[in-house]
This record gives sequence, C-alpha cells and structure tokens, in this order.
Amino acid sequence: MKRLMMSLTAGATALGLSQAMAADDVTLQLKWVTQAQFAGYYVAADKGFYEEEDLNVEIKPGGPDIAPVQVLAGGGADVMVDWMPSALAAREKGVPVVNIAQPFARSGLTMVCRKETGIEKPGDFKGKTLGTWFFGNEYPLYSWLSKLGLPRDGSENGVTVQKIGFNVDPLLQKQADCITAMTYNEYWQIIDAGLTTDDLVVFSYTEQGVDTLEDGLYVLEDKLDDPEFVDKMTRFVKASMKGWQWARDNPDEAAMIVLDNDATGAQTEKHQKRMMGEIAKLLGDDATLDGAAYKRTVETLLQGGSDPVITKEPEGAFTHMITEKAM
Amino acid sequence: MNWTIAGALAFWAGAWALNERLSRLEPRSPAAKRALGLLVPAIFGITLLVVWEGAVRGFDISPVLLPPPSAIWARLVSAVPILWADFQQTFLKAVLIGYAIGCGSGFLVAIAIDRSPFLQRGLLPLGNFVSALPIIGVAPIMVMWFGFDWPSKAAVVIIMTFFPMLVNTVQGLASSSAIDRDLMRTYAASYRQTLFKLRLPAAAPFIFNALKINSTLALIGAIVAEFFGTPITGMGFRISTEVGRMNLDMVWAEIAVAALAGSLFYGLVALTERAVTFWHPSIRGG
Repeated sequence: MKRLMMSLTAGATALGLSQAMAADDVTLQLKWVTQAQFAGYYVAADKGFYEEEDLNVEIKPGGPDIAPVQVLAGGGADVMVDWMPSALAAREKGVPVVNIAQPFARSGLTMVCRKETGIEKPGDFKGKTLGTWFFGNEYPLYSWLSKLGLPRDGSENGVTVQKIGFNVDPLLQKQADCITAMTYNEYWQIIDAGLTTDDLVVFSYTEQGVDTLEDGLYVLEDKLDDPEFVDKMTRFVKASMKGWQWARDNPDEAAMIVLDNDATGAQTEKHQKRMMGEIAKLLGDDATLDGAAYKRTVETLLQGGSDPVITKEPEGAFTHMITEKAM
Repeated sequence: MNWTIAGALAFWAGAWALNERLSRLEPRSPAAKRALGLLVPAIFGITLLVVWEGAVRGFDISPVLLPPPSAIWARLVSAVPILWADFQQTFLKAVLIGYAIGCGSGFLVAIAIDRSPFLQRGLLPLGNFVSALPIIGVAPIMVMWFGFDWPSKAAVVIIMTFFPMLVNTVQGLASSSAIDRDLMRTYAASYRQTLFKLRLPAAAPFIFNALKINSTLALIGAIVAEFFGTPITGMGFRISTEVGRMNLDMVWAEIAVAALAGSLFYGLVALTERAVTFWHPSIRGG
C-alpha cells in the first residue's frame, strides 16, 4: 500500500511537472523471493534512483515455481535476473536471452557437508547422497560431478542426487550428506539451526573451478534492435548499479529497505542484514560482464559428460552495449 | 492470417460439420452404434490437436510457453525409458501401494466405527480433521518422516485416500433398509452374517464410489508430493524440474502419461464395479 501510494504520488508529481515527460515503464522479474540478494534494485526504487532516470520500475519477486525465462518469453517482464547456466540453457532451447549486465562478479554457491560423514575432499563424495535444488539450479553441480568423474546414478561408484526443497532440513535430519547452499542464505540457516562451523565442511564452487556466473540481467535479443529500449535499459542498469553501490555502502539500511518491500513478511531483520553483508562480497566493481568469467562459465557448462548443460558454444549471448553506455 | 492458421480453422469447420452429421445418424445395429460412439469423440479430440498445432505454428508461439502436439509426441516416443522409470517410481510404487493401504485401512476403520459408537464419536471427527489438511502442508512433513523415496509419497496418498473411503463406507453400511435388517434378525443371523450377506453388498455402490474418487486423488497426491523432495526420478519430479529447464515438451509428455494412467486406473475400477454391483439399478439399466 505504501509503495502504491508512493508511486501514485510520484506519478502525480511527474504529471504535474510536465505532461510530456511520462516515465518509462520497466518490469523486472527477480529470480527468487524478495530478499537482500536483490537489495540493489529495491534500494534504487526506494531511494528514487529509477525516478531520477525517468523510469517507473516494477519489481516482481520470483519463487520456487517461477521460471524467470518463461515470464520474459511470455512478455510478463522486460528484464530478468537469472543465473547464467539456466539463461544459456534457455538460449539453446530457443529463447534468445542476452546478458546486458552482470552486477554479481563472484559466485556464492557452495556445497555444505556434515563433517561426521567423513567427507574431506570432493573425491569423498563417492557413495554419498547430495541434495540440490533443481529448476535449472542443478547445472553447476552436474558440471562439477562430471569433472570429478562421478556418475549420478546412485551406484556405489557414483553419487545419489536428491531433489531437495528450498530449505536445509535434509542436512539437519541427515537425509543427505551434503546439500547446496548459498553463502548468503542457506549456510546461515544451517548455523541458525544449531550446527557450528566445526560440524561442517564447506566447498566453494569457485574454488573447485566450477564457478558459473549468477545473478545477471537478461533481456530478449530482438528487443535490443529498438534504440528506445536500449536507452531505457541503459538508464535502468545505471540506476540499478547506483542502488547496488548504495546498498554496499549502507548494508544495514539496505536490508531494512528490502524488509519494507517484503510483502510476505517472511524475512527477518537479522537474516537480511547478514545476507546483505555476504552479498556485498559477491558484487563486482561495475556491472560490465567479465569476458574471462563468461568464458569459464561456458566451458564449465559444456563439460557435462553425457548430459551437458549446453551442447555448443553460444553466440551473441551477451552484449557490452548497455554497460558501456551506462558505466 | 497465415496459411497454417487458416488450414487449422478449415479442418475445425470440416470436422465440426462431420460430427454434426454423424451424431444425427441413428444406426440400428449395436456394433455400428458403438463405433459411432467412439468415432465422434475421437474426431473431436483430433480436431483439438490440429487446432493446437496450427495455432502454435501459425502464431509462432515459443516452445518454452506451449510446444505443439507433434513435438510432444516426438518427445513421448524418444523418452520412453525415462517415462517408464518415472511411471514405475510414481505409479507402481507410490500410487498403487498408497491406494491399497489408504482404501484398505479406510474400509476396516469404517467397519470398526460402525461396530462401536465410541469410535464413531472419537474417530470420525479426527478423520474429518485429517482430510482437511492441505496436501502441500503434509507433503514436506511426510518427506521429513519417511525419507525422500516413494514411502513418503505413499504416505501422502494414504492420507488423501483414507477419508473418502471411510466416509463412504460408513454411509454405505447405514444404507441397508431397516426392514431388511429386521428380516435378518428374524433369521437369527449373526452380526457377521448380516454384515457379509446384507450390509456390505448394500454398501458396495458407496465403496466403489470412494474407490473411483480415490483412483484420481491418489495420482494427484503422489505427483504433487514429489514436488517437495525426491530422488531424481518420478513423474512429479520430472514435471517440476523440466519446467525449469524449459523442456516443456517433456512436461507435456509426462502429463499425457499421467492422464492415460489415471484414466485407465479409473476405467479399471469402474469395470470392476460393473461386475460386482451388477444388481444395482444404475447398472441394470444398461
């Protein structure tokens, strides 16, 4: 309601100032629910950075049953936040999504194991049960397992892969030996549940050389032919990065802004503040996609053994056109 | 308007006209009548598929939103081993076992309730309560209790099928008329004799009603339960993950298998009902 009132007032002021200058509408589809992982966008909206760029941005939270690519392809959003593995897989499936900016330079993906299972190094996964999320989030794990030469058929020489829900219960109840966890989210849920760092062995995907780029901004390729859309996205990326910069400098306040925007009321202050702190470590200096990191992601995804995530090197999957103008 | 859409619309119009004509025919021989009864819905179904295919191709709808039937069929044929493994995991294990235990226990508890007024007051409200539990709330708890494999899905199916069976059987057992029961008493029939010779046969239509309702409920329950944690096989697993991978043709193939399995299961129960309750007026008539 507060947001509605604010946008109404903002709309009224804009109308009052100049009839001709109606703000451009942009709809952003997030990959996941409202949380500090997306603080930059909420800050930019809250602090009026979008307004300064003459944008009227609607932020749509995601969730466990929302595939951002489908929303984008169906015309429900102009731009989406997605992980590169699922974006590139979608591109190969015929949805031409293009990365226009990459605010996250580092990956926060980890595999957390209980120490008592005897796992000390990734090679010890043999015969163990690993829990992961699906919905496109399983790709980095599959690349890692094929790099380790471990089949995921549940045999003695391989690993048993389980689809887990978006919570850490399987690890707490020892139904899985290891589960995927983000440094900024599930890891702290495990700690909050009573396990200590001494009980856990944490493998960072980045250190294992299977890091793939996470939260980037993607649009549909054909829309980039429209100069007006490009201009709109340039302003959007510029204002979003200003939001991210502010969130990095004021993590606690940014977490509070996220909480204000959480319509579900499911997030807690302690968790969001901690999350913002961890998110800040993953952010790049600007949103320009690093060519080397892109190359590494593609190479990781291509080595999927019998079932690679993508079968051929994508072409035109990213553009620096927007970030060059915005930064 | 392009040619694909125009073609699909023309096919639709033609099929409509044909069906209009066929449904007005009144053949004499029963065989012809039966053939006609199958032909009309078949033509209607084929028309739907043609219009679907034409619309997807004609309007150039992205395959990640709605794949054409031809792509779904291609996937169905090429992914038989995966579909079969999923079918085994979900239907042959979770659904059938859960269905048997859920219906069986519902039936036995109903007889116990019928025998004892104490249970009637205590258990029936509890059954009501269990039936009101939302499946998406129960499923994660079952996964927590019974692990990731099929037993947790069977448990969800049991919870879902138990109550319809219980209520229907209790009602069925009460449906024999007072005059029939009096007659049994004048014959000096025992409780057991009355139960097997009079009351259960009278309850059969109610029991089969529950079995039919449960045949579809069980499949829904097992598939939805798989959304909340599974080993990497099963129909619900496949549907929920392939959506995320943009393989919508696979999702539809899995839905087709589920629809087919559900219909066959229902049909089998309905046929058994016909054989068992042949005396009932609803079946005697034809």
